[in-house]
Amino acid sequence: MSRTTARLRPTAMRYMIMIYDNAQSREVFTGPDGAALMGEMEALMAELRESGEYLGGEALADPAQTRSVRLVDGVPAVTDGPLAEAKEHFGGYLMVECDSFERACEIARRWPSARFTPLEVRPLMSGGGEEM
Amino acid sequence: VSTASPSGATEELLRTLAPRVLGALVRRHGQFDACEDAVQEALLAAALQWPEGGVPDEPFAWLLTVASRRLVDGFRADSARRTREDAVFVEGERLVDDAAPGPPDEDDSLLVLLLCCDPSLSAPSQLALTLRAVGGLTTAQVAAAFLVPEATMAQRISRAKATLRRAGARFALAGDDTAERMGVVLHVLYLMFNEGYMASSGDALARAELTTEAIRLTRMVHALLPGDGEVTGLLSLMLLTDARRAARATSGGDLIPLAKQDRAAWNRAEIAEGLALIEDALRAAPLGPYQVQAAIAALHAEARAAGETDWPQILALYRLLERLLPGNPIVSLNHAVAVAEVDGPRAALAFLDERDLDSRLGEATHRADAVRAHLLERAGSPRAARELYRAAARRTTSLPERRYLESRAAALD
Repeated sequence: MSRTTARLRPTAMRYMIMIYDNAQSREVFTGPDGAALMGEMEALMAELRESGEYLGGEALADPAQTRSVRLVDGVPAVTDGPLAEAKEHFGGYLMVECDSFERACEIARRWPSARFTPLEVRPLMSGGGEEM
Repeated sequence: VSTASPSGATEELLRTLAPRVLGALVRRHGQFDACEDAVQEALLAAALQWPEGGVPDEPFAWLLTVASRRLVDGFRADSARRTREDAVFVEGERLVDDAAPGPPDEDDSLLVLLLCCDPSLSAPSQLALTLRAVGGLTTAQVAAAFLVPEATMAQRISRAKATLRRAGARFALAGDDTAERMGVVLHVLYLMFNEGYMASSGDALARAELTTEAIRLTRMVHALLPGDGEVTGLLSLMLLTDARRAARATSGGDLIPLAKQDRAAWNRAEIAEGLALIEDALRAAPLGPYQVQAAIAALHAEARAAGETDWPQILALYRLLERLLPGNPIVSLNHAVAVAEVDGPRAALAFLDERDLDSRLGEATHRADAVRAHLLERAGSPRAARELYRAAARRTTSLPERRYLESRAAALD
């Protein structure tokens, strides 16, 4: 009558979907196809809220507004601009809780910016653990 | 509006009564989801009124009356709307057949628990719904326990209730599938316990309270079904495991393996209760996997020092458990640890090689690497052990586990 399974965690895993962009890819969203792309994004967001998978998300300001902070011989040095020149920059993220890694990647694939710039999906660490 | 915060005693009373009121309402009206909303409204009304006006003489009747009134108000509004929209009003489907009376001595809480653990729901939905409808927690409290925004949890609960409605979740109380559903119920309680037990000291307090809630609900089921050996076994397993809670991590949140725990910090009262329960169950009931797991936990609890553990007996119990739960990879990993204690680490490595665990562990393959690393270390192969500790550290998504595995790898440098 018992059904003990190997599943240790009843809750699904959490993933951060990291959205990368650049000036050109962002401009597409304000160009002629912009309204359609924004519509797709809003529909996907609504789907994630409806399914109970959405945990949060934010967009970041333009990388030109970045300040990089490092210690040089123990003295803080603050410079304008990101650490490294790159074709794409981290532009924002979605936080989701899904049944599988595959599902999180499917959400990333359907995010409209995926057609222009790549995304990264990474599991989040949790605070709990099993004594080994 | 200031939020009411009922005293501990009032809150405890409300949470004990919540599933009974819901059960009574569902028996009478069907429509689990509408009844559940009505009971939540009645609980809120009580939390607002009782602290000032005093607890009514018959709190159960008070709650049932208020909830029934809310439910009927809802039906009327619904009916008026549907009549306008569809011209025809079809009575909502019923979850429970009125004609099938429940066993007279059975508490309605059990009925609600069985409904919440409907097989059409995913495990996280079963858990969330059980905590709200049987545990009497608010959506905000359930959300806090699972570390998700309240809006997200509200949406999940309302989806779960819609799934139940669509699935038609219909069963007579005397139904043949009650035994199978009880298996799901025990599994949900087991997951609820683990979710809280694995929470670290840094996690929200609400999360660790899941263990308390799981024990409370399992006690409730045990009181209703005292002759069910697996219910007794699960309660015993929870108590014997929870007894180690204070000893399982440092104040900084680092995990301490069983062999290194300070046994003086184990909770003796919980151990005594857990031991008495499992002894009773093993004497009287047909054997099941929760009882065997409790018996293993009992042998650990009885050893005054790690070196005094009765490993041959534990190994025999794992052989039994493997027959009861064939193919369970977590059982095989723990089984391997017992093999190592009795027959040595090389025998345990051979035992693991015979079983194709990785394909069955899914996202928990780091657990197999961690066990193999431990066995290799004991077998005198530090380099291979170090590589596997590192591989396991890269694959786990638990911060305390990653720290533990990295420290083991670093110790072998």
